[in-house]
Amino acid sequence: MNAATLSILLLLSAGLFATGFFGLLARRAILFQLISLELMLAGPALGFIAGGAYHGGQTGQAMFVLILILAAAEVALGLALYLALRRVADVEDADTITRLRH
Amino acid sequence: MLSPYLLLLLVPSPPLAAFLMLGLDPFFLRRRAVQVLALLGGVAPFFVMLPLAAVCFGGECHGVVPVFTLAFGQSEVALALLLDPMSTLVGLTVAAVGAMVITYAIDYMSDAGVADLRRFFALMNLFLAAMLTMVLAGDTITFFFGWELMGLCSFFLIAYNTGLPQAVAAGRKAFIITRFADAFLLAGLLLLFLEANSVRLDVLIPAGATMTEDRHLVIALLLLAGALGKSAQVPFHTWLPSAMAGPTPVSALLHSATMVAAGAFMLARFSPIVMSEPLVQAIAAAFGVGTAAFGALSAIFQTDVKRLLAYSSISQIGFMVLAVGLGAPEVAIGHFVVHAMFKSLLFLAAGDITHGSDLGTSMKAMRGAARRRPVAYVAYVAGAASLAGVPFITAGWWSKEAVLSAAWNTGPFGIAIWALAFLTAICTAVYAFRPVLEALLPEPEHRSRAPHGHPLALNLHHRARIGSGFITVPLVVLATGSMLGGVMVAPIISFLGAEVPHAPHLPALLAAMAPFAGLIGAAALTFVPSLAAAVEGAHDMRRPTRLDHKFQIWVIEPYIRLIRWLSRDRRPRDADLDFERQVRLIRWLSRGARMDGVYQALVVRPFVNLVRWLSGHRGGGVDPVGSAPVALALRLTQAVVGPLAHDRFDRFWMRSANRLVRIWVMARAIQTGRSRDYALGLALGTAALLVIAWGTTWN
Repeated sequence: MNAATLSILLLLSAGLFATGFFGLLARRAILFQLISLELMLAGPALGFIAGGAYHGGQTGQAMFVLILILAAAEVALGLALYLALRRVADVEDADTITRLRH
Repeated sequence: MLSPYLLLLLVPSPPLAAFLMLGLDPFFLRRRAVQVLALLGGVAPFFVMLPLAAVCFGGECHGVVPVFTLAFGQSEVALALLLDPMSTLVGLTVAAVGAMVITYAIDYMSDAGVADLRRFFALMNLFLAAMLTMVLAGDTITFFFGWELMGLCSFFLIAYNTGLPQAVAAGRKAFIITRFADAFLLAGLLLLFLEANSVRLDVLIPAGATMTEDRHLVIALLLLAGALGKSAQVPFHTWLPSAMAGPTPVSALLHSATMVAAGAFMLARFSPIVMSEPLVQAIAAAFGVGTAAFGALSAIFQTDVKRLLAYSSISQIGFMVLAVGLGAPEVAIGHFVVHAMFKSLLFLAAGDITHGSDLGTSMKAMRGAARRRPVAYVAYVAGAASLAGVPFITAGWWSKEAVLSAAWNTGPFGIAIWALAFLTAICTAVYAFRPVLEALLPEPEHRSRAPHGHPLALNLHHRARIGSGFITVPLVVLATGSMLGGVMVAPIISFLGAEVPHAPHLPALLAAMAPFAGLIGAAALTFVPSLAAAVEGAHDMRRPTRLDHKFQIWVIEPYIRLIRWLSRDRRPRDADLDFERQVRLIRWLSRGARMDGVYQALVVRPFVNLVRWLSGHRGGGVDPVGSAPVALALRLTQAVVGPLAHDRFDRFWMRSANRLVRIWVMARAIQTGRSRDYALGLALGTAALLVIAWGTTWN
């Protein structure tokens, strides 16, 4: 892999991250926020893979595995919270649940 | 060529598959299908373990099945299953007892609704799978995974009756206390990993045993603390008697082959590390024999069969910890195997006798058992005889004798331990035979005489005298094992590569007399009315009873006089005080040393109060943490500026202090509670940190 491919991939990963971040801020439905979070995690994961491949080391892949586990745990927790919120309070909109600050 | 050890992967898989099928329920299973699936998942591991055990007993007994390997520089993370003599023996025992308990549960739980049945059997299967995974684990990660999964399952199963607040509280208590101890185990395992650079047990344990640094002591202590918590040893014992809130099959599995016994197994597994540290070994022996004595004493004063058996488990596992502490982990495993059989038998038989009784699981519910449930009663007698260690004909005698002999052979320190263990054996026989003799008494009045209607129709929850095959077969199999298993103890110990310890004739003879002494004690406690009433009332004894007065007059008083006469003490004394002390001791023992109250006062209540104070629930402000600096600033300004004359300069300062309140209100307004705002804040903060990092490393 040459430097040009690496920079393209890094740009792509930054773009993925930015898209996810924008989605997280712009969407109010909890499900879409979860999807955006997944996108935000996919960005750095791609970055690690690209960096690892460019330097020829295993660390990038190891970090990717870590991110994969993190994303799985995060989505499991997020969906569980979403389902619980749906059942208990019938909530879809993330902005309406603000009572936790008390 | 495929290695026969690949079968190892198939040992925990059937219960795991049954858990997934029952837990997710993709096919909307009917009642019968749920029962069939649960039975298949519970029994299959035993039939997979059999050929593996045959291979192992045949001589080729070191098989490792790698599951997943990740090399990281010098370290490696290698998940694997391991077949060696210890895991074979324990795995076979766990699989057999698990199969029996799940078979029994099919009939025992047949009153439950389909949804509850599904939940129950899904969790029981997962419980069994977790224990098998832990036993067969070839690395610390798999080991810890099974260990934690078991803690989680026991939480759900103890709190199975979600409608009962005390069941949920008992589950929570078990979970929190065992998690607290698990943290020690995790720390110990991580330190070991740093030392050995590998998670594989066959590398890790020798590396840990040959270590010489100070860290070695810390690791051994951490491992011991983890085992004490999981095995409900003093001072962590309080969760086990409360765990009786779960259904009887849960208790049978929890107490015999899984969960509680896991701590003893872990100590035996890591025994090279513990044994290379004499101090930790002595601590383990002291805790073991202390817990054994305490559990047996407390069990005598219980009025509930299941609580009695719970204290008995605490005491018996104490014997295993003692064996490891004496440097004989092989003996501990021998006792593990025998204990798993007779303890599950005792729970299953007691559960069958008291099932559906309107007296719950209290000792009175055992009455009339010989006539009502003859098979279960005979099985219970077999289990109790094994627990008490009736010589030669029961398995319990052989394994307990091995522990006692190991203690005797350890030297002068060991003889003191032997004496304590011997007294414990007598107490064990007393509490073991109490329910047996109680069952000989006639049933309480209100059950044998029906108030109205046909006596037969109202009598004894319409159950046949002999249970179905699902109940009878496990009872008969386990009873046979509890009696004849004694012939296996010596082969087990020599199979693990050790000699069976033999004590001289005198201590062996004394130990053989212990069960008979205990039987006399139990008969006294059951058939002498005043003694029986005293034990009955001991649990909620508020005032001294008549028996206490008698005891006082005949035993305590002469003893005190003797002491006073010997010490030539002529001062007047306060008789009421001595008496009060003795009553307090019995009450203290019957409630498990009141350790619960200590935890409540030291840990739970301060924590609850802190949370309440922080949340402004009672007495606290709206936001004590946030308003503390503001209050401090106001107080400080007033203290400094207040005494001075009030000119314009002072007023300016006072105003700035008051402004702080407004700033605080504004700062609180940042907390909107909306996740999107927090996400933006997080992102801006991270970006700022990145900019600072970039700025400071700029060259």
